[in-house]
Amino acid sequence: MRIKIDHTLCTGCKQCEFACALAHAGKANPWRSRIRVFIEEDFCLPVIAGPYTEASCNSKGIVMVDGVEVNECVTCRASCPVKAVYKEPDTGIPLKCDFCGDPPDPQCVQWCAPEALKLVED
Amino acid sequence: MRDEVRMRTIGPRSNWKNGPTNKIAFFIQNCEETMFGWKGNILRVDLTNGATHVEEMPAYLMKEYIGGRGMAIRILFDEIDPAIDALSPENKLIFATGPLAGTGAPAASRFVVSAKSPLSNCIANPVCGGYFAINLKEAGFDLIIVEGKAPNPVYLEIENERVFIRPAEHLWGMTCSEVEQTIKKNMKDRLDEWQQDLLSVVSIGPAGENLVRFACVMADGGRAAGRSGMGAVMGSKNLKALTALGTGDVAVADPDGFRKAITQFYRENKPAMDKRRNDGTWYLPGRANASKSQATLNFRSGYSAEFAKYEDVEVIRQAIRVRDEACASCPFACGKRSRIKDPAYPLTAKGPEHETMALLGTNCGIYDIEDICRANYLCNELGMDTITTGCVISCAMEMYEEGYLPEKDLGFPLPFGSLNTFQLLKQVAFRQGIGDLMAKGGMPLAAHYGHPELYMGIKGLGIPAWHPQAFDALGLQYATNNVGAGHTKSTMPFYEGRKDPAGYVEWTKKDQDYVATVDSAVMCWIIFHGPQWGDKLAEWLSIITGKAHTVEGLNYLGERIWNLERLFNLRAGLTRADDSLPPRITQEPRVKNRVVDLERLLDDYYRRRGWDENGVPTRETLKALNLQNEGAGVV
Repeated sequence: MRIKIDHTLCTGCKQCEFACALAHAGKANPWRSRIRVFIEEDFCLPVIAGPYTEASCNSKGIVMVDGVEVNECVTCRASCPVKAVYKEPDTGIPLKCDFCGDPPDPQCVQWCAPEALKLVED
Repeated sequence: MRDEVRMRTIGPRSNWKNGPTNKIAFFIQNCEETMFGWKGNILRVDLTNGATHVEEMPAYLMKEYIGGRGMAIRILFDEIDPAIDALSPENKLIFATGPLAGTGAPAASRFVVSAKSPLSNCIANPVCGGYFAINLKEAGFDLIIVEGKAPNPVYLEIENERVFIRPAEHLWGMTCSEVEQTIKKNMKDRLDEWQQDLLSVVSIGPAGENLVRFACVMADGGRAAGRSGMGAVMGSKNLKALTALGTGDVAVADPDGFRKAITQFYRENKPAMDKRRNDGTWYLPGRANASKSQATLNFRSGYSAEFAKYEDVEVIRQAIRVRDEACASCPFACGKRSRIKDPAYPLTAKGPEHETMALLGTNCGIYDIEDICRANYLCNELGMDTITTGCVISCAMEMYEEGYLPEKDLGFPLPFGSLNTFQLLKQVAFRQGIGDLMAKGGMPLAAHYGHPELYMGIKGLGIPAWHPQAFDALGLQYATNNVGAGHTKSTMPFYEGRKDPAGYVEWTKKDQDYVATVDSAVMCWIIFHGPQWGDKLAEWLSIITGKAHTVEGLNYLGERIWNLERLFNLRAGLTRADDSLPPRITQEPRVKNRVVDLERLLDDYYRRRGWDENGVPTRETLKALNLQNEGAGVV
């Protein structure tokens, strides 16, 4: 199972972040969330936190999304020493998506009204 | 290397600096936190002395005034003399969030901007969406009170309970989007890409700097606290912008219960959400036009055949839409980002929304959606309220066509539909030529040329898109709103009883009180559209704050807030004569062959409100609302 992201449907409301933070930390704070939404002028990019990586990258690339240049750091799922996101704000402990338990019941998917996030089997 | 890079992340560092350094101490600190939905801090900024203070939020404000609009009127009522000049340093500007903002409650990321209005000379409380409200809450503040006047242009930077007043000479004169880009660019070496993206900027454009009396406050690249000229108040204080970035928590009393209630709300309202996301407010111009109720040619008509092609939402979507854009926390996402094909305007803009399409569109005789987009884009960038601007320009157009306004004063012809409108918008914002007179508002312009009846405004604010003659209750609602002709201060009368006079006067009162509670919880009234949503609002407030709220209790508080605003207006010198409509609405049957019989409706409305025939609350009414002391001097 995985969460399929269709960024063209995302409206940038960030409700996935609140759902995640409320489910995992019991507090409303997007900084405690394991999913973040990056907002560009023409589209929004929801990115789900992946495994922690100790080292920062030697080089940074550029990713083309719908013809717009986006910093690779933004599309990268890793929680790393460089980025401000995917860390508990008080302790700095890295965060990673756990699909809200077993069997998976991701709260971000439940709160995604435009269905940009979908739980799919494959 | 690693430490050096880490300096750039404000999350862990800033909290370590001010707070406990180990997990156990942090846990204890969190256990002591008892305030739910609120941060409990008021930020007071004294621009004259360049000082900032943090005050504790008084408990009575949270209990008796809910938040946002209610708190703002209470503070203004206590701290300023309503009779002052709105553009003087004595006026105070309040940015207020509510208990729901930043909790994840749908459609609650909104803040109220409140002060005495320079346009209407009464209370003003426009509400604005975007991301600023959640950022402000996360940074640790519920409310900002801005006082005095800075000697030089400044902007206010808020970052996790740290507040800086920074010089803004380099930003002065910039348009709203330029301000946002410049501030973000200057922070590049401190913030990473994510933090720059999350940083929220509220600013004024050149119109606000030049004290145009209908200038608005713009937030997050296109959201506006539009009505009543709050941009001019901000400009009079030499405050160019505010920025907010926060990483703190907003505690919810019952997180699991809250999550379940919201999930339930999502399931129940899926079709409404999908429809609103697809249509935005773009289905409304077509609907208003088809029912002959849309402001057209300075309210001379309710229908235009040229605009009829936009009755299908898909036509507008195909023409200009880039993507659907939500405010933070809003699953309805009625905002639309748009772009036109004209290469001279390569930038995207928010909107235009229904009101803009009507007032800058059909009301000025401009029927092409791309032209409306250009006008909307200019207004957003210059920082002007599209509704009042539209009414002022349509007034000038009618006076030009009737021959009252000579072409030599304008410098160019200005018949209805003229694209010289774009030139005129810039002249108004920079106060050049006739723009200087127009910037004072529609009433001074129309009176200058001897025809005050041609400005379609109430208490100075331009009348919104729905023609007041379209529904009986609408004229009464516009005329009696405390802020003037506000389009968001009562929900539109789409309900069964609207044809029954006894029904709709009572409904108007109920509706206005209800919207006062919605604005105080700072929810979006587009979502909680009508008093039937009161129980949902009470439920969410109870779950989030942990204090029981009931529908009756909220209605009582709403009525109290409404009456307090009325007392503020009376102290500012307003009378029954200001609760009026332009003669075109009360005398000339332009739409659906009827006029608004306002005087009769007003008598009925005042009686139901418990006010005397001059619109002054009686002692008994104030006693029932526990406002006896506030009424001293006017009652």
